[in-house]
Amino acid sequence: MTVAVAMAVEWGARWVEVRKLLERPGPFTHPDFEPSPDTLKMMQENIRVLVIGAGGLGCELLKDLALMGFTNLHVVDMDTIDLSNLNRQFLFRKKDIGRPKAEVAAEFINQRIQDCHVTHYYNKIQDFDDEFYRSFHLVVCGLDSIVARRWINGMLLSLLCYEDGMLDQSSVIPLVDGGTEGFKGNARVILPGLTSCIECTLDLFPPQINFPLCTIAHTPRLPEHCIEWVRLLLWPKENPFSEEMPIDGDDPHHLSWIFEKAQKRAAEFGITGVTYRLTQGVVKRIIPAVASTNAVIAAACCTEVFKLATSACTPMNNYCVFNDSDGIYTYTYEQEKKEDCVACSQVPQELLVSPSDKLQDIIAILTDSLRYQMKKPGLQAMVDGKTKSLYLHSPASIEEKLRPNLKKTVEELGLRDGIEIAVADVTSPSTVLFKVKLKK
Amino acid sequence: MLRVHHSMESAAPASCEQTEKAKKYDRQLRLWGDHGQSLLEIGHVCLINASATGTETLKSLVLPGLGAVTIIDDAKVAHQDTGNNFFVDLASIGRPRGEVALRLLLELNPEVRGTFVDQPLQEILDNQPEFFTPFTCVIATCLPESTLLTLSKVLWDAKIPLVVVRSYGMIGYIRIQIEEHTVIESHPDNEIPDLRLDRPFSALEKYMDSLDLDAMDDKEHSHVPYVVILYKFLQKWNQEHGAPPKNYKEKKLFIQLVKTGMREKESGENEENFDEAVKAVNTSLLPTSIPSGVQTLLNEAANITPSPTTKPFWIMARALHEFVSSEGRGVLPVRGTIPDMTADSEKYIKIQSLYRDQAAQDADWVLRRVQEHSQQLGPRKVMPSLENDVKNFCKNAHALRVIKGKPIVEEYKGSINLSEIGAHLENPESDLVWYVMLRAVDQFHSEFRAYPGYFQDQVETDIVRLKVCVNRLLADWGCGPIVKDDFIHEMCRYGASEVHSVAAYIGGCAAQEVIKIITAQYVPINNTHIYNAIAATSGTFML
Amino acid sequence: MIKLFSMKNQKKDGSDAPKQGSQKRASAAQLRITKDINELTLPKTCDTEFPDPDDLLTFKLIICPDEGFYRGGRFVFSFKVGPNYPHEPPKVKCETMVYHPNIDLEGNVCLNILREDWKPVLTINSIVYGLQYLFLEPNPEDPLNKEAAEVLQNNRRLFEQNVVKSMKGGYIGNVYFDRCLK
Repeated sequence: MTVAVAMAVEWGARWVEVRKLLERPGPFTHPDFEPSPDTLKMMQENIRVLVIGAGGLGCELLKDLALMGFTNLHVVDMDTIDLSNLNRQFLFRKKDIGRPKAEVAAEFINQRIQDCHVTHYYNKIQDFDDEFYRSFHLVVCGLDSIVARRWINGMLLSLLCYEDGMLDQSSVIPLVDGGTEGFKGNARVILPGLTSCIECTLDLFPPQINFPLCTIAHTPRLPEHCIEWVRLLLWPKENPFSEEMPIDGDDPHHLSWIFEKAQKRAAEFGITGVTYRLTQGVVKRIIPAVASTNAVIAAACCTEVFKLATSACTPMNNYCVFNDSDGIYTYTYEQEKKEDCVACSQVPQELLVSPSDKLQDIIAILTDSLRYQMKKPGLQAMVDGKTKSLYLHSPASIEEKLRPNLKKTVEELGLRDGIEIAVADVTSPSTVLFKVKLKK
Repeated sequence: MLRVHHSMESAAPASCEQTEKAKKYDRQLRLWGDHGQSLLEIGHVCLINASATGTETLKSLVLPGLGAVTIIDDAKVAHQDTGNNFFVDLASIGRPRGEVALRLLLELNPEVRGTFVDQPLQEILDNQPEFFTPFTCVIATCLPESTLLTLSKVLWDAKIPLVVVRSYGMIGYIRIQIEEHTVIESHPDNEIPDLRLDRPFSALEKYMDSLDLDAMDDKEHSHVPYVVILYKFLQKWNQEHGAPPKNYKEKKLFIQLVKTGMREKESGENEENFDEAVKAVNTSLLPTSIPSGVQTLLNEAANITPSPTTKPFWIMARALHEFVSSEGRGVLPVRGTIPDMTADSEKYIKIQSLYRDQAAQDADWVLRRVQEHSQQLGPRKVMPSLENDVKNFCKNAHALRVIKGKPIVEEYKGSINLSEIGAHLENPESDLVWYVMLRAVDQFHSEFRAYPGYFQDQVETDIVRLKVCVNRLLADWGCGPIVKDDFIHEMCRYGASEVHSVAAYIGGCAAQEVIKIITAQYVPINNTHIYNAIAATSGTFML
Repeated sequence: MIKLFSMKNQKKDGSDAPKQGSQKRASAAQLRITKDINELTLPKTCDTEFPDPDDLLTFKLIICPDEGFYRGGRFVFSFKVGPNYPHEPPKVKCETMVYHPNIDLEGNVCLNILREDWKPVLTINSIVYGLQYLFLEPNPEDPLNKEAAEVLQNNRRLFEQNVVKSMKGGYIGNVYFDRCLK
């Protein structure tokens, strides 16, 4: 047997488990599915998957995707490794503490799983532009930040192309999102522009717990009240380390100071239960985390990526919650798209203007045309990645400053082809996006 | 100005210094505490077969710091392992799979010890069944039916919990075999507060009666904890109606009564504590009672004659039963924790301490009973943390859980829970059908020495053969042939493939079940869990 | 059902080096604040100040009550709207030192909708009205400045005198208040 043939046999043998799903027909496949050895080839040669986050979920996702046959993986994470990650973020060791998570995770996967290539970015997701995100077929998120989720959601929505108000489906980059908290978790599939998005379901994220300031200041009754008193009121007053130094939850000196003062305060009021662990938890807003839940949720997400990429199964529709504190409970349902969602209901409308049109002419279009019939539109443009207020009806102070813009032309305002203008008006529940198109 | 900061000069006080272990495990210690962690660290788990599902299960046990693992596996690493198992690598092809997997798993956490055995399981079962006695729990995967049944019998007799895990195409399976599992800390998600408003203990009554809502100034009035408001208006209500409000209509009337006590604020807003009282009516006025599950276990405890082999749980349960039927006058010890309520510090903390003191007093009564029982049993085991254990037991009395398991052999040989099967098979949404399919492919394997669809060229013929197995199985159970052909096709498509993402899902779930068993916290499934990755759904069945 | 999108098409390799992200669309927080600000209806006692009209996330609110204890005063609040708006409320601080039961000497404001009762349906307008209300109806029952609250509760006349004194600039007890009359 020649080497090449031997390799092919080995390769075939290596992926024999997924190949059964990819090369055989079945009653539960997506209608588009065509059993073929080409699908695995496509997964390995063509498909680019972006993993956001290399933490508890991210480590699992990289492993899962690599062992489902994906070879072209990319991972973004801005964090470095901490000792408290090691109970679940299994690609990291003690010797790696302090190094970028994305880098260490990529190194480990590349070394363990032959032929898999993970590219890492020790960056914030906001460091990349639309061109970067457009280069992926699928995005999977394992994040603990709502802000970051909202950002990537907005980015993928902004990549959608419409023709005559119809969505060009080839511009849709599916987003698979997972989240965990203790023994609870959720996994969801988002098809930007087609299904409910992160912004549609913002209410599903638990609100931050904020105690009333007056309770914290004068009538504490819980150990948390005592800790918050030190954090919010005593620290800025005493500045125990130096003027204007903010609390660093990772600095044991800072935590010890807060702990001692909180204990003292608790004793004054006869409150029990201020411990170092609780202090740390409140100050750093720690969310409990365990290896098993991350493994489960990442696996559920990876299964969905596999389905979306191969059609070997229809994708989940579209939201699944998990909780294994009492038995193992899951609930899968369709989370509905919000009709007036500020993010995904946007089909940027074209605003046809000539370079010599004045801003007041544009506003006239919005108020006078039968199509829009707005009352008091406020306009803000996005120019070179920065917001630029064009005109706002209120408050007076800002209206005065912006009034001169009304007489300026489209050209003078720097409104180029393709620039998006956000228009807020009482006639619509959320801000509407327009895309500038210059008359030739 | 230069300020001197003492805390910068002096080292952090001893109480703040966390051990490295506490830091590493911080995020999970917040779930099962230091005592749960200690139990995990003395746990010894045996894995039979280091397949993808097996190693994924061990992974989520090694990471949180299980004490030790033993892997039994007589397979050698093959190419297909490198396509679904993270704990093998290309360089190890041909080497014993248990050895490779163990090395790569232990590398995750230096605190975990481990050994591997590359002897065939059947040999161990035949020649040294006592091999299993040191294990806290055994996890098994990829076993043919006959071996599984032998193993299940050996472990059932030895009272060692067995967790069977399996990934078969897009289907996952977990089966727990445990004779009895008792849980003190079940950590329920939503708890009904234990306020005893319908039967206040004397200290509470005395304190409540010392308060006079009408005599309070506005500030004090708007900062009375709602438990006081409810108490006061319940007294008023009872004078008129003789008994606390029971149904919706009465509760509505009661709410109206509470609202009459609200004082007009200058701002026109409601008093927050009264708003809270109104909201709490539904949960806080429920008669103090014993949850039915707890009552069942108290009934069982009532019939126990403590002996030297009785588990501490049952001795405490026995003492609890005695409390309920005497000192407690029909109810459980006071829990001693109350929900948060808008209040001034002094009253809230006072009331909190009243409940806490009563809880301590009740727990003390139970403790004395436990001690008496223990003394009667002679000077055998001294429970070093007895006082704390009993306190904890009483605090969690309302949430105690006992799981009575069933051996796998019984499920396979005649006494499967037919009512559960019948009910679920009629529901097209139920995932139980996949259990039937898994049982059928096992029968197929016993008959043909291969799983259906294992060989590419036999998928079509296997479909016909598998259908025979399914129908035979259903006929044995007395169910009609109500399984659609689609499921049979799909099973043959899988050809027993073990796909990584399904293995990882099942591994994660199963690992947590093992942690629940070892730490005796949270509640494991009873007894079969099916995961359906096609629809991302799952179900738990008592078979 | 959805099509396979462009899954089987070759995607152009995005340059692997990070480019400075030029976000082409305003964030959801941005879109929301634009609407909040454009629809702000300020009572006549309130005014705003935007140091940079292109940045609607950072601004000041100036309240000059025309009735109540604080008539004639001028109070400045700083607003910082974060990227998680409206999931999280804006951060609001009082920059003028004020003798007030619900505002402490560090400028912390105890208003329920700024913390525990914040909901995403609330707007900047809701906060403006809440703050304005704080000057009309100081609440001594849930105080932040306990001393001021006690005086208000026990001796309204003295409280009124103290407020006037503090707004003119002067000591209340051993605390000095800068003049903040309009």
